[in-house]
Amino acid sequence: MNVAFDLAEKILAGQRRALAKAITLIESTKHADRLIAEEILTRIIPHTGNSIRLGISGVPGVGKSTLIEALGKYLLQYNKRLAVLTIDPSSPVTGGSILGDKTRMESLAREENAFIRPSPTNGNLGGVGRRTRETMLACEAAGFDFIIVETVGVGQSEVAAASMVDVFMMLQLPNAGDELQGIKKGILELADILVITKADGQQKQMAEHARLEQQRALHLTRHENNWKPPVLTASALEDKGIAQIFESVDECHRIKQSSGQLQLKRQAQARAWFEQELVEGAKDWLVHHLGSSHQLADAESDVIGGRIPASAAVRHIFDQLLSGAESTTKKIRR
Amino acid sequence: MKQSFKSGRLGYDLWVKDASADIKGSPLEQLTRQTPEGLSLKPLYTAADLQGIPFLDTMPGQPPFTRGPRATMYTFRPWTIRQYAGFSTAEESNKFYRNALAAGQKGLSVAFDLATHRGYDSDNLRVVGDVGKAGVAIDTVDDMKILFDQIPLDQMSVSMTMNGAVLPILAGYIVAAEEQGVSQDKLTGTIQNDILKEYLVRNTYIYPPKPSMRIVGDIIEYTSQFMPNYNSISISGYHIQEAGADAALELAYTLADGIEYVKAAIARGQDVDSFAPRLSFFFAVGMNFYMEIAKLRAARTLWWELMQQFAPKNPKSSMLRTHCQTSGWTLTEQDPYNNMVRTTIEAMAAVLGGTQSLHTNSFDEAVSLPTKTSSRIARNTQLIIQEETDITHTVDPFGGSYFMEKLTFDLINRAKEILQEIDAAGGMVEAIQSGLPKLRIEESAAQKQAGIDSGANIIVGVNKYRVQEASEIDVLDIDNTAVREAQIKRIKAVKATRDSKATEQALNALKDAAASDSANLLAYAIECMRKRATVGEISDAIAEIYGRHTATTQAVSNVYINNYKDSGVIDDVKQQIAEFTIEEGRRPRILVVKLGQDGHDRGAKVIATGFADLGFDVDIGPLFQTPEEAAKQAIENDVHVIGVSTQVAGHKTLVPQLIKVLQIHDAHEIAVVVGGIIPTRDYAELKKAGVVSVFGPGTPIPECAAQVLQAIKSKQKSEIAK
Repeated sequence: MNVAFDLAEKILAGQRRALAKAITLIESTKHADRLIAEEILTRIIPHTGNSIRLGISGVPGVGKSTLIEALGKYLLQYNKRLAVLTIDPSSPVTGGSILGDKTRMESLAREENAFIRPSPTNGNLGGVGRRTRETMLACEAAGFDFIIVETVGVGQSEVAAASMVDVFMMLQLPNAGDELQGIKKGILELADILVITKADGQQKQMAEHARLEQQRALHLTRHENNWKPPVLTASALEDKGIAQIFESVDECHRIKQSSGQLQLKRQAQARAWFEQELVEGAKDWLVHHLGSSHQLADAESDVIGGRIPASAAVRHIFDQLLSGAESTTKKIRR
Repeated sequence: MKQSFKSGRLGYDLWVKDASADIKGSPLEQLTRQTPEGLSLKPLYTAADLQGIPFLDTMPGQPPFTRGPRATMYTFRPWTIRQYAGFSTAEESNKFYRNALAAGQKGLSVAFDLATHRGYDSDNLRVVGDVGKAGVAIDTVDDMKILFDQIPLDQMSVSMTMNGAVLPILAGYIVAAEEQGVSQDKLTGTIQNDILKEYLVRNTYIYPPKPSMRIVGDIIEYTSQFMPNYNSISISGYHIQEAGADAALELAYTLADGIEYVKAAIARGQDVDSFAPRLSFFFAVGMNFYMEIAKLRAARTLWWELMQQFAPKNPKSSMLRTHCQTSGWTLTEQDPYNNMVRTTIEAMAAVLGGTQSLHTNSFDEAVSLPTKTSSRIARNTQLIIQEETDITHTVDPFGGSYFMEKLTFDLINRAKEILQEIDAAGGMVEAIQSGLPKLRIEESAAQKQAGIDSGANIIVGVNKYRVQEASEIDVLDIDNTAVREAQIKRIKAVKATRDSKATEQALNALKDAAASDSANLLAYAIECMRKRATVGEISDAIAEIYGRHTATTQAVSNVYINNYKDSGVIDDVKQQIAEFTIEEGRRPRILVVKLGQDGHDRGAKVIATGFADLGFDVDIGPLFQTPEEAAKQAIENDVHVIGVSTQVAGHKTLVPQLIKVLQIHDAHEIAVVVGGIIPTRDYAELKKAGVVSVFGPGTPIPECAAQVLQAIKSKQKSEIAK
């Protein structure tokens, strides 16, 4: 039986196990797995696009998981089916990772209508964006109608996350300015909604203060017409502000949808996706087909050694490839 | 005799020369050892080392109590032999206690099962694998009455290890005594009631920290009023050391917890002298012989100093009294009779350090609850020290030792540095919420594990002098299903015969009390127990107001690998992982879980951080998962393998259940391995149920990792074959 066909059918039937396995194939670095993943995606893509896609980002310790758990449990009350895709950094030293998200979303993780999948970055933030988008599609095909993509705010990953969701939400601590939290100015402009977290106990006032300040700052930044990014406060601890967040997300999505912006945004995202795949795909193709020969390694060490500029090295590879195109093609067919 | 020997500076210089000659000219510094606490142990101490030590030449029974809390110490009356035990059912435990008392034991100590600790009745579906594990199951006051049947509670001091479900358990004990005809003012003993360390290490909490601190305060208040001879709290370092902390961390965190309790009681308007004399402590004693003696001396000295900020008038308010237990973590499954020797050495350290009571572990406790024989030997260890030797004949025999006095002083200073870190965080409650102390302990545990795995720290029979054939020892097996069924029957009987209306009223009153700030919850819990409410009902009633606490999990990284001394072994495993990653298109991915109500997560944490350091992707499951929840997580994350870490024998029920659930969900290709405290004779049964590998305690992590890779591959092969 065709693995891809089988998995695609099971995903469309909403089977959790099949979805999980498909995600593994999507994330796999093995060429054969990629082919299967692409076939699955091709089969399911007509059944995608029907969810609200929400991106959530913020510095470590801002309370992303806690907020997602509270928001998730709120959504489930309304019979939503929720998928949460979280991205955990791998250790740059050892390559391994610790994926503890579910301990922070313990009660959400138990829910039948919730699917939580943490993925290691494997040292490649851009790559995460690339695969997370496909994972999101698979979740949509499996019938999840609300998808949260969670990233750790370190600059690059927010851009990747924002480039694949409908609504992008940034979380901030009540007690620190942007600089202290390492939030770069440009990033804040990506946000459709800003939430000041941990607005509880003694921090309540501080949070309110931060809210007003951010509201003023956001007024000055440009934004997609007819949506003014609100700044909200929330306390997952006291279970406050969660309904408001949901309403804001929902409203933002509705306004974008009815104005036609959402369609344009998704088209632009798809175009960017294509362009990214073109670049990454070309690279993968080269590595796959030239990996065993020394061509790439030689060119790389020439560049590292300062003997050839990178641009010339790459052009040289293409030139060689074109002149030997005939024989290469034959080799692949065999 | 005149001038035939040299002393002081002159003699020391000569010694340096002699010593250098002994070690053939290599630098003398190499004989100075660095301890995990960050102290230097020199090969020789002299009078010069005593400079600036303020507590020298103080007397036992006098502040700062360095030399002991009592003037005569063991010369008049030896320490209390207090063996901790609980045997699944109230009947069996009762029989065991009565035997032990007849055999010379002076107090008794109750271990509760995991379900009781977490405030669940035995009929709760979350605790199917936990009932009767690691101690006695108590659901109602009727169980309590059986537990203490024919034990005169006005004469017998009873110690209870209970922290989460303190209210129903203490209330149950009080009501059982009452119905035995003993009024509460006559009760003597101790309840552990130390909730802060639960968030740090042991994880048998029920409610969040803040309301839990209120409960602690209520118990201190109630007992100081109505139970004058009862120790309201036992501030415990034991579990902190067992979780991997060095002596300085154990000491500092324990005293910091203590200070937090004192502040809580004072904040409730209590006078320090009304409760502080009833605070007691509980430390672990491990294999670092001198350090453990110094720790007890340092603890007393430092506690006295810390308590002065509250200006107590009664000297007993700043006098630290402690119970000690030999370390369970130092027991090995391999060559298990060695454990008797370890326990003896540890018991000696506790005694030389001046403990007030002592539990000596049984040698078979690395794998199971003790048998009758092993617990007799454990008890005899103490009786032999007390009655066959002259050890008890002199107070604080180490007093005045250059080395011991200096070590005590150094340890105090190191602990003060750690206390400053806690202070800077705003006290222990705040620090715990930030997660810092927990990470420090886990860091220390990972360091220790790396030291053992790489052979830098020696454990005889484990990483050196290994024996080939495994010694089969008799272990006690608990038929968990039978215990559970019997308990459920008894709960039904109690519920059928009680005045349900009165029970409900009492529970409602308890809820109202929990919602108000002024009421004392213990008084209300006692009323509930009188009206035959169950432990679970009382816990749930309070949880309705406070909620149940869920912990966030943080993990250290790169500590294990940086402390592993032999990089060859590491590189080899990393190479295997790299090859696997290329073949598989992703790194090996493991879900490390604890199943059931067992909160001891040292093993799981060390495995998680060690495996991640070697290059695994490691998912960590939340504590207290059911097999169904663990399976859902494994399936969603599509891990290659689930590693179940088990400590208290729930594996026989829970692991086969986990495998069954995986099969139901079409996830039969996910391998399951089990590690932890597992009797060898269970291995076959687990493998029959579908477990691919079983790891006993003491398996080095790189070896585990390599075997887990093999387990994944063999599972894949057998799946393809199917």
